[in-house]
Amino acid sequence: MKTFKQHIYIIAGLLLLGACKPEVNTPKPYHGSADFTRYISIGNSLTAGYADGGLYLDGQLNSYPSIIAKQMQSVGGGAFTQPLFGADQANGSGYLSLTGFNPDGTPITTPVTTNLAVRGIQPIPGFGNVVLYTKYTGNINNYGVPGIKLLHIVYAPYGNLNGYYERLLPGNSPANSTTYLDFVTAKPFTFFSNWLGNNDALGYATSGGAGDVLTPKDQFSQLYGLLISKMTANGQKGVVGTIPDVTSVPYFNTVTVGAVLGAVQKANPTVKALYINALVSGATYAPRAATAKDLIILTFPTGKIGQPVVTPYGTLPYGLTPVTPIDNQYVLDENEVALTESYVSSYNETIKSIAAAKGLAVFDAFTFLNNIKLHGLVVNGVSLNSGYISGGIFSLDGVHLTPRGYAIVANEFIKAINAKYGSSIPLANVSDYRGVKFP
Amino acid sequence: MRKLLLLALALAPVLAFSQGFQVNLEGQKQIGMGHTGTGILQDGASVFFNPGAVAMLPQNYVQGGISPLFFKSDFNPSGTSIQDRTANKIATPFSFYAAWGPKASFWKLGLAVYTPFGGLTDWGNTWQGKYVLESLDLKAIYFQPTISIKLADFISVGGGFVYNRGSVDLTQAIPLANSSGQPGQAELKGSGKGYGWNAGVYIKTEAGITIGITHRSQVTTTIPNGNAIFTVPGSLQSSFPQPNQFSSTIPLPATNSIGFGFYPCSKWILALDVNVINWDVYKTLSFDYTKNTPALQDTHSARNYTDAVSLRGGAQYKAKDNLALRFGGGYASTAVMDGYVTPEAPDANRVYGTLGLGYTMAKHLDLDISFEYEHLMQRTQTNNESQLSGTFKTNVYIPGISLAYHW
Repeated sequence: MKTFKQHIYIIAGLLLLGACKPEVNTPKPYHGSADFTRYISIGNSLTAGYADGGLYLDGQLNSYPSIIAKQMQSVGGGAFTQPLFGADQANGSGYLSLTGFNPDGTPITTPVTTNLAVRGIQPIPGFGNVVLYTKYTGNINNYGVPGIKLLHIVYAPYGNLNGYYERLLPGNSPANSTTYLDFVTAKPFTFFSNWLGNNDALGYATSGGAGDVLTPKDQFSQLYGLLISKMTANGQKGVVGTIPDVTSVPYFNTVTVGAVLGAVQKANPTVKALYINALVSGATYAPRAATAKDLIILTFPTGKIGQPVVTPYGTLPYGLTPVTPIDNQYVLDENEVALTESYVSSYNETIKSIAAAKGLAVFDAFTFLNNIKLHGLVVNGVSLNSGYISGGIFSLDGVHLTPRGYAIVANEFIKAINAKYGSSIPLANVSDYRGVKFP
Repeated sequence: MRKLLLLALALAPVLAFSQGFQVNLEGQKQIGMGHTGTGILQDGASVFFNPGAVAMLPQNYVQGGISPLFFKSDFNPSGTSIQDRTANKIATPFSFYAAWGPKASFWKLGLAVYTPFGGLTDWGNTWQGKYVLESLDLKAIYFQPTISIKLADFISVGGGFVYNRGSVDLTQAIPLANSSGQPGQAELKGSGKGYGWNAGVYIKTEAGITIGITHRSQVTTTIPNGNAIFTVPGSLQSSFPQPNQFSSTIPLPATNSIGFGFYPCSKWILALDVNVINWDVYKTLSFDYTKNTPALQDTHSARNYTDAVSLRGGAQYKAKDNLALRFGGGYASTAVMDGYVTPEAPDANRVYGTLGLGYTMAKHLDLDISFEYEHLMQRTQTNNESQLSGTFKTNVYIPGISLAYHW
């Protein structure tokens, strides 16, 4: 019996050993000089959690504002509600999914078209058809609207033209007249993040400089000033993001002139160059041979190259002669790149100076994404870069981010907030978030 | 034309035999005294501590002991309030010794089987550093036949041959998500062998102080054909061919020791040991895969260890003829420089304290128990290679028990 008792002590002692845990003392999370009680996020597709060419539930659940809000919980952050798609319509607008690889290693993407939240099509005279989505009713903290430009924030009919915005409004298209700025500021809030402005440059760039126009610099500056004055009207604090260099995304860096030309030359070694219709100046375009500085967009159907085109000079191969250049919409040529860059740089000057004047925190997305493009990024043992699919940051559309990319962005926003307001919002665990899904 | 290049994925298994892997648990009597034993003579464990002293043992010994090791590490990722902790797993370093020679002879033979390096670390598959390491189970078992010769009443020498049987089982997550969003898994599993030797000299001075000096050689251990098992999404399996093998070589470092024994009165023994461990041989860790692909390249990770020193002291008080009380402690400097700390044994300078109790159960039978507590200094690090950034804090608790039969 005595030995049994001794055993009990020994076993109890071993169990106690199992219970003593080392602990690293960390400073208690603190809100600093900011108040995170009601945080709202405004912005475009990046803010909404758009990914893989669509807005869908999984992307929404991994949006950077939702990650920031989760981390704000320990420093007084309140509930953060997103206009989520219902579980039965989880695929929202539909999106691209990676379904395999061709023998040459190129990816095969397939649109997901089931369980959509599409409610109908509304033709708008003079504009075109607008896809309408199932209405969302309820609280909103994340006001991200895919496609919105800064240009649109005081445009009253915008709620009829953008299905993602229309979905959040009580009224139906084409009867809406609430501006985005009025909508997001209707309810009081204590803290905001703003990452508007990307589409004012990106819309032009992703259409190869053909389908959209750049928002004039002075108009951008006027609207940004108006936006921030209204957002800070009651002394609210916030964080703003700068606009990334459009050339830092894989949408413009994956299908390169060199790669296309190389593939063509394999089949026909006599081909010397690809021809594009390039910007000369103003609105003047002229065909010329493409160089590495001209950026072909990710969605360019490369099969078009070499196809016979009937011209006044006879039937000529597409993309391989000055008479049959690659269509403007597929190429952001060197001068268009320079033009876009000069606008982005001006927009960013505006953003930084207005933020500084109002004492707002700034996440410099322009510098951050350029650094990733140049040097890559290693996080928790994972090597990341700006590459398409393999890079881990960008989703299948080559512009928007993967959950891992959004988590990294959320942490950059948090670092900027902490630095500005002396708060200590804990960083999110990037390792919990995935990159592209592989079949 | 959207050419996919997956070679950005550099899979770099981490495996560092650091100070954390040197398991200084080679005899309960010695652990009780702060793991000293180079310059004093206690029992058959001298085959490990100082083969030169074995011939001076007044009796023959057969003994075995075990020291269950509770390794408790905590990681606080920078800028967060998260505490990632290792799972409760118990490593079992053990030792077995036999020392035999004819009565009153000038020589003795010895055999030792012990585990000088090892580790069992399990961070789980949800923590911040899962793409660096999930779990590691590492064992090195040394077999050491030894001969020791008494040259004179005051001096003896000895030496042994070491055969090491090493094994490793390492898992880490691969940052490639499958269709349900789960990451891939890598497991590197294999065993190998290495050879070395050791030698020592033991001196009894006229002043009554005993001195021991030993050298344990480097044991370069090679795992020639380990299994490299990769679980990745089906569409990428061809980039991670299966089955696949890896080979890797790890130098287990040489240790030079000097130890002293003091005997202020018949009831007391005081001991002091100084060890210099030649970790600077460990420059690079390489993994060579039999089948390489653009996504799966051989890896060469810089380790750049520096030599480490440990200082140990201990005492034994013979409370009764059949009861000995022991205590001791020590300090060990880390071999791992800033920027190279990895989670499989998050190394840092460490201090430790020990307690021991020896009880002679019968005329020929000793029961010894020991307890060791080690504290690794809190260390905030950003690893150069993985950029894993945060603060490690580690405590180790090691109870132990042994039986020694002597005649």
